[in-house]
Amino acid sequence: MSLPEFKLLRPRTVEEAVALLGKHIPNVQVIAGGTDLIPSMRQQLFAPEYVLDIRGIQELRGICARDGEGLEIGALTSLTTVENSEFIRRHYPVLHEAVATVASPLLRNMGTIGGNICLDTRCVWYNQSLTWRKSCGFCIKKDGDLCHVAPGGKRCWAVFSGDTPPALLCLDAEVEIANAYGFKRVPLRDLYTGEGDARIKLGKDELLTRVLLPESRAGWRGVYRKLRIRGSIDYPLAGVAVAIKIANGAGSAVQDARVAITAVNPAPMLVAGADRALVGHSVNEQVATVVGELAAKTAKPLTTSALTPEYRREMVRVFAKRAVLAAAGSGESKN
Amino acid sequence: MKKNLLELRVNGRSHEIAAEPNALLIDVLRRDLGMTGTKRGCDDSSCGACTVQIDGVPMLACTLLAASCEGAEITTVEGIAEHGSLAAIQKAYGDWGGAQCGYCTPGFMMTVSALLANNPDPTEDEIRHSLSGNLCRCTGYEQMYQAIKAAIEAEKKGMAAAGR
Amino acid sequence: MSEFSVIGKPIAMVDAAGKTTGGGKYADDLSLPGMWYGKILHSPYPHARIRRINATRALALDGVVAVVTGKDAPVSYGILPIGHDEHALAVDKVRYVGDNVACVAAVSEAVADRALELIDVDYELLPAWFDPEQSMQAQAEFIHEQRPNNIEKEYHHAFGDPDKGFAEAEYVAEARYIANEVTHAAMEPHSTLAAFDLDPHTGKVGRLTVWSSTQVPYYLQHKLSLVLEMPMSQIRVIKPLVGGGFGGKSEIIPLEIIAAVAARAAKAPVKITYTREEVFWAHRGRPRTIIDLKTGVKRDGRITAVRARVVQDGGAYCSYGPVTILYSGALLGALYDIPNVQYDGYRVLTNKPACGAMRGHGTVNVRFAFESQMDEIAAELKIDAAEIRRVNLLKPPCITVNGLRVLSYGLPECIERVVERSGWAEKNGRIRRSSAGDSAATDERRTSLRRGLGLACSHYVSGAANSIIRSDMPHSTVNIKVDRDGGVIVYTGAAEIGQGSDTMTAQVVAEVLGCALSRIKVVAADTDLTPIDLGSYSSRVTMMAGNAALRAAEAVKKLVVQAAAKRLQCSPEDVVMRDDVVSKRAGDTLSDPLESAAQILETRDAPRGAVETVARGRVEGQILRGSVLQKRKEDGPKDRMSFEEAVVAAIDISGALTGTGSYSPPQDARGGNFKGGGVGPSPAYSYSAQVAEVSVDEDTGEVTVHKVWAAHDCGRALNPVAVEGQVIGSVWMGLGQALQEEMVWKDGLLINPGLLGYLSPTSSESPEIEAIIVESIDPEGPFGAKEAGEGSLAATIPAISNAIYDAVGVRLREAPFTPERVLAALKGKRIAESGKAVPTNTGITQPGGVDPTRPAYLREHGGALWFKGRGPSRHPLDPARIQPVAAETGGGD
Repeated sequence: MSLPEFKLLRPRTVEEAVALLGKHIPNVQVIAGGTDLIPSMRQQLFAPEYVLDIRGIQELRGICARDGEGLEIGALTSLTTVENSEFIRRHYPVLHEAVATVASPLLRNMGTIGGNICLDTRCVWYNQSLTWRKSCGFCIKKDGDLCHVAPGGKRCWAVFSGDTPPALLCLDAEVEIANAYGFKRVPLRDLYTGEGDARIKLGKDELLTRVLLPESRAGWRGVYRKLRIRGSIDYPLAGVAVAIKIANGAGSAVQDARVAITAVNPAPMLVAGADRALVGHSVNEQVATVVGELAAKTAKPLTTSALTPEYRREMVRVFAKRAVLAAAGSGESKN
Repeated sequence: MKKNLLELRVNGRSHEIAAEPNALLIDVLRRDLGMTGTKRGCDDSSCGACTVQIDGVPMLACTLLAASCEGAEITTVEGIAEHGSLAAIQKAYGDWGGAQCGYCTPGFMMTVSALLANNPDPTEDEIRHSLSGNLCRCTGYEQMYQAIKAAIEAEKKGMAAAGR
Repeated sequence: MSEFSVIGKPIAMVDAAGKTTGGGKYADDLSLPGMWYGKILHSPYPHARIRRINATRALALDGVVAVVTGKDAPVSYGILPIGHDEHALAVDKVRYVGDNVACVAAVSEAVADRALELIDVDYELLPAWFDPEQSMQAQAEFIHEQRPNNIEKEYHHAFGDPDKGFAEAEYVAEARYIANEVTHAAMEPHSTLAAFDLDPHTGKVGRLTVWSSTQVPYYLQHKLSLVLEMPMSQIRVIKPLVGGGFGGKSEIIPLEIIAAVAARAAKAPVKITYTREEVFWAHRGRPRTIIDLKTGVKRDGRITAVRARVVQDGGAYCSYGPVTILYSGALLGALYDIPNVQYDGYRVLTNKPACGAMRGHGTVNVRFAFESQMDEIAAELKIDAAEIRRVNLLKPPCITVNGLRVLSYGLPECIERVVERSGWAEKNGRIRRSSAGDSAATDERRTSLRRGLGLACSHYVSGAANSIIRSDMPHSTVNIKVDRDGGVIVYTGAAEIGQGSDTMTAQVVAEVLGCALSRIKVVAADTDLTPIDLGSYSSRVTMMAGNAALRAAEAVKKLVVQAAAKRLQCSPEDVVMRDDVVSKRAGDTLSDPLESAAQILETRDAPRGAVETVARGRVEGQILRGSVLQKRKEDGPKDRMSFEEAVVAAIDISGALTGTGSYSPPQDARGGNFKGGGVGPSPAYSYSAQVAEVSVDEDTGEVTVHKVWAAHDCGRALNPVAVEGQVIGSVWMGLGQALQEEMVWKDGLLINPGLLGYLSPTSSESPEIEAIIVESIDPEGPFGAKEAGEGSLAATIPAISNAIYDAVGVRLREAPFTPERVLAALKGKRIAESGKAVPTNTGITQPGGVDPTRPAYLREHGGALWFKGRGPSRHPLDPARIQPVAAETGGGD
């Protein structure tokens, strides 16, 4: 189906963008890479009066390491650029692994890191054409008032399906948000609401401008494991990111650790207790199994995606265990 | 809906086009410029049949607003033939069975030519990986790999000949 | 010197450049001045009666030209004469979500889309059926009134004496297998452009021209004539390039007729191109098939009897259904020697998009069951999987128990070749614990990866010996016209859909005429220009159009030879046409024709390093004819002449040089004389044997296919590049069905109607496929050729299933083998090994109550539920919400 009609705004600066957002709120939708939004607009999931195309804002592109402050990634930096960054590969391997699994090479050329963070939640009852959605009487997330995944409930369970946010959560990333009052920094873990239909605490008049990775997380070993049927193109059906710090090479005790999961809840989630299970232990089968169980407990998959929830939860368990083992066994990254 | 005047650079030439703000690049190419080599295969940005190069980077024309491409150098499959004859990759795809029904082929041409421009001698894994955003339903990709290798060989030979 | 000059060479497709440059035109690439865009309104309900349709608001929208509904084309049609149950647009009922209700023609797709929202349809909802086994129990509200119990067709065949066969068996295996629904997903969405000539005097619509993405231009012409109530002579169907078919374009797809109906109403050209979602609704793919299979064998593995009960979930319309269900039974035979067969096939209607013909039509799912069961029997009797197939080979020439004539039979060699190439003897049953040394195994998977090898065979028809239209007309006819400068134009109705039909035709004609391939121009699939050909389906083109082309070329050759004989002063039998030269046979040895032809021939690099000889441009030919030729004429007798000279000599006699050839399958290959016996017989059968090597992750159930060796008996490989391409493509498509492709349903709603959700494999997970060509030189095929495009597909699914068994010891009886199904089976096995086997109620006994085939969650095939949601309501964007129209919506109740 054709795109709904809209007026296109093409700001060149963040200031201009924020001003335009403020002016046209709430009938305005930001577009960056468009890889998720354009198909959704074809399906009439979004029909804004104005579309704010931020691709022309050059200041939001690029990766910049600042001594003592960590790494800054402009929100418009393409996923391919992040993937190809040697600095990120060496210092933030978990992000490198995660970003390299997003969709396909073509879509990574277009998609942006900011877009991946702000990705709309997904559900087989939601990501469908207007005609299709009519057939099921619509759903609570869009145009309707019932949830087909959890009938009777009044909550939307659409699932967050970004690959990079769990990695970024493991790295204690912050995001910079611009609004009429200037810039603010928000820890990424506070960005998500856990509600399928209001996934993110980003005002309609706000713009996510940068991702900030603390220098203290540099050098952590990291691994991302993704469940998908095809080796490319697919959104994750489950994803697990693990970042751990081991001081003296493989075999010695874990000093710090984070485990996060995606595609099994309405938000990417840090696995509570994973750090406690790991810190102070040298990683072995048993420790990894415990982390796997914790991750599986955190996962609340429902029938929003192709595979059964039981299987996806089981894979969170297996992948978390494997990711912990792989991260501990991976060669020490150099600072 | 009111149309705006756009200036797009396609295959080295500038075109002035009146298009709606919601016009997608694929539609402007196919409908307004008559460049039907860029194909539409899906509606959810998943198949790669409409791949074009934006400043040399392969992207999906079905997912780009035409207006967003102003100021960029757009290359379509119509723009990769060399001096009026087939580019090595085009010839090789024909000779080695890389194209059967041919509907996905323009997309592959754009992806492969971008790959070879950045990496003239890719490994088999790199080839496989870089093609993974373009779907083909006929070939099983196997003969494409042979074609790409043959094109690389042909380029090498051509370069050697030119250097003589 | 090889036997042939053009045949057997790896030759680039004659239309390759149009595809790699983007210059080739597919239906959606075409447009006409004054053309409107058509969009179709689809039913949101799986089963409902249409009380009223009101298009007043849509017609009032600026930019809308016409709205057509069922009453604009009330004549029913269907691809089979016995199944005329479709309407271009629904007349009384809609029968699946996505059924066609109305069509808008407008200035743009966007306006048409908006107009669709303004058409008010008043539906009366009816109970709907989604599971075939439940649908068969229906007592009322049948999907089609004339089909009680929603059974489209059932067949009960017994050949030999099945009861006696089972009585003689020393071991009997019995199980239920399920193959879920898959679809073609050709890369090109269907598109049709229809235009009527207007009578300049009356302004009334006159002749119709339709450009369409079709595999069957003549069937389309026929059905258009039926529905539009126009003579066939007033309809011209042209097939531009087609972006893949696989059977999905092998019958009349609703948009093809709707475009014409809309064009008639709009009095202007109308183009309709499906969205990808509409392609899924148009469907005609491979039905979900439930196979209850029982095989009896002797201790040595020799089959004594087979009994199969097959239920196909056919969707809402007949389509090719009866043919599919017949193929499923008929193609149990002709692969192995099975003395006793009982077959009970049921084609059942459900409220889902219609299934039809898909690559390997009818045979694929049953072959999966059969080859899996062979493997199970081999394991039980401790016979090697290759050996059990060897002991059951046919002994051709023969007629199988169900009346199929088998002449060439390359299966034994196929088996030997894949066994040899894959290292079967060393690997099968021996590599499953070798994952420690597996290069694919990362540290974390080292303990969980298991490798295995599986083998399976398949076969397929080279065209159906009996046409779906009952007539004595030849199945293919080809005309050839030769120009004075030696250009050869071949007119064939055969439909090139990417498989190489045009190239094959050109090769056959060039070989017979002994001229350069570059002289040949193929004009194909234009009903005004080309003689009737039934189309591209059931792998019939090489066998039938190829034979017709061969005969047409021979007719031309005869004329050329006669003329040349006079000039060469020899008898026609002594004239040789080869490599663009016509010469006198010199004793027993042929003179080297290239020598004398040097002046008009040049060499160029052909594919794969070969050197090919081509004629130089036409202009040079003209000059030659004007001067050199004339001079030579006067030179008197000689022993050789160029192809052009010979052509001119022939044209000088007859004024025109043309020839016609046609092909009808031989009477003795047309099958047995019983109800349904017409489906299955073919002039020849292709054979395939495959070995797949896989690894299975025991913790996740993920299956990786590393390599498939596929040996295919294609009779003779007219063009090895094309044959390998077809074999690899078939294996690859089988792999998709084996591992990941599945149409997922919930209450008649297709959950994954797009290429993001329907998981056609990407290059990342596509394995290496080694195609091995086996040539059995069939006596009936052109130069001995048989089919190559479909037969290999069916062996891939069981080869992978058997390899999974070899790797981890679980038998997957439901395709696709998704990781969750594999993991469930693995868990079941672990529970069984602990000694607690529990039968389940679906007929598939999985130990421990774990039944991977139990419909769960989205895969809810079952349930006579007809509609659970709250029902469609108007979208907030719908102008009707903002400005409700009081008139007529909602009917009189």
